[in-house]
Amino acid sequence: MPSKGLYIHIPFCVKKCNYCAFLSFNADDKTKQDYVKALINEIKLKSAGRPSVETIYIGGGTPSVLKVSQMRDILQTVFECLDVKPDPEITIEVNPGTLGSSDESILSKLKAYREMGFNRLSMGVQSTDNNRLHFLGRIHSAEEVERDVRLAGKAGFDNINLDLIFSVPGESKADALLDARHLIKLKPEHISCYSLQMEEGTPFYEMADNGDIIEVTDEEDRETYHEICRLLKGAGYEHYEISNFAKPGFRSRHNSLYWDMSEYIGCGLGAAGFEGGVRYKNVSDIEEYLRAYSDEDSLPNKPLFDEENVNTTFDNISEAVFTGLRRKEGISYKELCKSEQEFWTVFADAKQEAEKFAESGCLIMDRRGLRLTEKGIDISNQIMSLFV
Amino acid sequence: MSYLNNIRNFSIIAHIDHGKSTLADRLIEKTGLVEARDMKEQYLDNMDIERERGITIKLQTTRLLYKANDGQEYILNLIDTPGHVDFNYEVSRSLAACDGAVLVVDATQGVEAQTLGNVYLALDEDLEILPVLNKMDLDSARPEDARAEIEDIIGLDASEAPEISAKTGLGIDEMLEKLVEVIPPPKGDPDGKLKALIFDSYYDSYKGVVIYTRIFDGKVKRGDIIRMMNTGKNYEVTEVGYCIPGMIPADELKAGEVGYICGSIKQVADARVGDTITLADNPTEEPLKGYKKAQSMVYCGIFPAEGEKYENVKDALEKLQVNDAAFNFEPENSAALGYGYRCGFLGLLHMDVITERLSREFDLDVITTLPSVVYKVVMKDGTVLDIQNPSNLPDPVEIDHIEEPIVKAEIMTPNDYVGSIMTLCQGRRGKMLDMEYLTKTRVQLRYELPLNEVIYDFFDALKSRTRGYASLDYEFVRYQPAKLVKLDILLNRELIDALSTIVPEESAQAKGRGICEKLKEIIPRHQFEVPIQAAIGQKIVARETVRAYRKDVLAKCYGGDVSRKKKLLEKQKAGKKRMRQFGTVTVPQEAFTEVLKLDDAK
Repeated sequence: MPSKGLYIHIPFCVKKCNYCAFLSFNADDKTKQDYVKALINEIKLKSAGRPSVETIYIGGGTPSVLKVSQMRDILQTVFECLDVKPDPEITIEVNPGTLGSSDESILSKLKAYREMGFNRLSMGVQSTDNNRLHFLGRIHSAEEVERDVRLAGKAGFDNINLDLIFSVPGESKADALLDARHLIKLKPEHISCYSLQMEEGTPFYEMADNGDIIEVTDEEDRETYHEICRLLKGAGYEHYEISNFAKPGFRSRHNSLYWDMSEYIGCGLGAAGFEGGVRYKNVSDIEEYLRAYSDEDSLPNKPLFDEENVNTTFDNISEAVFTGLRRKEGISYKELCKSEQEFWTVFADAKQEAEKFAESGCLIMDRRGLRLTEKGIDISNQIMSLFV
Repeated sequence: MSYLNNIRNFSIIAHIDHGKSTLADRLIEKTGLVEARDMKEQYLDNMDIERERGITIKLQTTRLLYKANDGQEYILNLIDTPGHVDFNYEVSRSLAACDGAVLVVDATQGVEAQTLGNVYLALDEDLEILPVLNKMDLDSARPEDARAEIEDIIGLDASEAPEISAKTGLGIDEMLEKLVEVIPPPKGDPDGKLKALIFDSYYDSYKGVVIYTRIFDGKVKRGDIIRMMNTGKNYEVTEVGYCIPGMIPADELKAGEVGYICGSIKQVADARVGDTITLADNPTEEPLKGYKKAQSMVYCGIFPAEGEKYENVKDALEKLQVNDAAFNFEPENSAALGYGYRCGFLGLLHMDVITERLSREFDLDVITTLPSVVYKVVMKDGTVLDIQNPSNLPDPVEIDHIEEPIVKAEIMTPNDYVGSIMTLCQGRRGKMLDMEYLTKTRVQLRYELPLNEVIYDFFDALKSRTRGYASLDYEFVRYQPAKLVKLDILLNRELIDALSTIVPEESAQAKGRGICEKLKEIIPRHQFEVPIQAAIGQKIVARETVRAYRKDVLAKCYGGDVSRKKKLLEKQKAGKKRMRQFGTVTVPQEAFTEVLKLDDAK
């Protein structure tokens, strides 16, 4: 039985960033308290049969906007209701500017996280340039990033991820590389690098639509990406997934679940899950969510989903291909089908085009399986869409 | 008194959106033939495409019973007419089956060019015309202005025109009374030799072709051997009856009556609209006047899209042809698109309807190429070739000159838009014949225009420049020499024959530039640069480049939301299905029709 994960979504933020299309919003203390209560009830409902998990990931939004006591209650529930395996990876996402107002308060919050069981910290840094942070709509400064990373180490976190966004309008390749250098200096175990995407419904999307901001060209974006990759590799980070880099032994175990078809329980507003061959997405309307889970004595018989899909065998193979191709290792035929031959029977109409991508140096096809080259990453959607 | 006195055969003439079908619905409802619960909106428009566009293309006929105030019961045969310039001939044959027509004028808008065209057709057939003012339920109705227009423009007395609302049913009784009074009963001799007009036909998979007919003289019944006088073919009648509007069999049809005839006829081309039916063993001497062969004015290529079977397209085209005598096709081979068909249509709307039906009714994925008219190519050796496929244009050195079809267009518009219409027509090589103020605010412009300037997007351009107020009617007048050249399009230096067009030499460069720019918008970025070139012969007249793409990657996996990613990839894959591979270049199928929509207002 492969490892199973638990994802918990905390949809609150102090302020929504200009580029963000995730399910997150600002809320008052009462809503947050109601949410924590409902979330705990949902976790209880979803842990019938006491499933085993090896990774726990609390993401958002900004989980660190919750009070320490609230976070403790959540994690406590998890430990009580689920069978958490030995040596788990337990991650919390935090944003600088939400941990406290002084070194003491920040340190105490981080220590509390460490003590309640978190052993991995993922911090949304996004940039190390104050102008750019402001432009992105972040609420923190570059100095606060540095301080929080330092305090996290002091609090006992020895597995830290820092998120970085590049291709911000107005940012040059040199700017982006400088950001990456600054991150390397902070010596995190893990770095995630995301090329900024204009998502519909965000202020940036509107601005780009109106011509108020000009997107970085694809050419420049890709050059930047490849140079960042080189830089990070040079600094000892393994480029193990399209957007993820890790020091040896520090790959994100939880995120890896998404790429190898492992199952994960999704709890919280709008969270996605994959259990028993069913992909689901939780209800994403906060009112509805709170109504459904607020009363422990009258919980729904079944969790509330916005979407629920029973995967067919083909779905499983197809998803394994397009998620698996995100990894450095790519996919192996035997992992997915009985043999190479069977794999290409399933994807008979994709073979010819896959071969073309192989010829043009985007895809490596060998006896073991398929994997993207660096060039292939740039157009990975094209390749992945052959397999859906 | 003869039974003929209690029959009235009539049509409704109206502008596209002036409420003809709604009025027909009201009449059917009023005379109680269709239960209210069975009423679909616009009962007579029985094709989805028509209903969606609010236009009537295919005729339907229906028999209504009306008890008039004089205590007598009248049979009212309503013969519906199509409402678009492409179908002028069909309209004229429907009108020929009538003794009168109800002219519906929108009291909020007045008389329109197209209505006028049909009124003239009706007058040509010596029909009595009863004008009625519709949309009287609207606040914006101006009945006095509309009356004045009818009198000024058409020259009909409109002082007693009933004021109605087809929508609410207002004034319908009054209109029916007036109809019985104004429209004369049919004439004819039931004991004479059979003379019947085919004014419509369609294919029914059980009965074969169903002919809609008006009997002028004589009788016809089951078992008779009938002869189509123009095609010369004989058939045994298997059924006759009335359309109420469903088919109700009857013993016989006799002079003055309107109904249907079936005779195991395999395709509608054998029972062509306008032909005269007589009895094979006792034929009438003279057929009815006005028969014309269907003439295709516009041609385009229809090719199976990627993954679609050639046979499926062939089957569908054959099925459509069985039901549409004006539509024809023959096999064609394109270097770019492979095997397909060259198809002829009456006009652009006809073409639209057929291609829509291919995708809707037959669920086919097809590519339609740029429409073209038929050019007469006069060679140096004196031979004349009819060319409707630009790819078949002979080597220019062998051509003496090329002639193109010219149409006479009548455009009716509020006077505010005269200037912009003139600019439009000038840009389309139009020659103004005259301009007439029909009233103080309404103008009729007459132009001669090359048909190939009209078939692309002329109608759309006209509508957009006049906020939809202008109306257009056109008819073919003659062929005329013109300086024309073949404009080729090359993608990645490869000639795409399906994108070639024949254009006037003087505007070839501008057209080439327009097409290149449009293609640049449509063609997705590839892993390499794609040059798009327009060429006349060996000479490149315009060029654009689609830059190579570098990025098509999703950075994030949305917190494990695999389904979201999957949907994106599926969408991408579906998009690709609608693409066509030309050598190394992938082109979306809509490119072939999108390049038409060059905005010349720019």
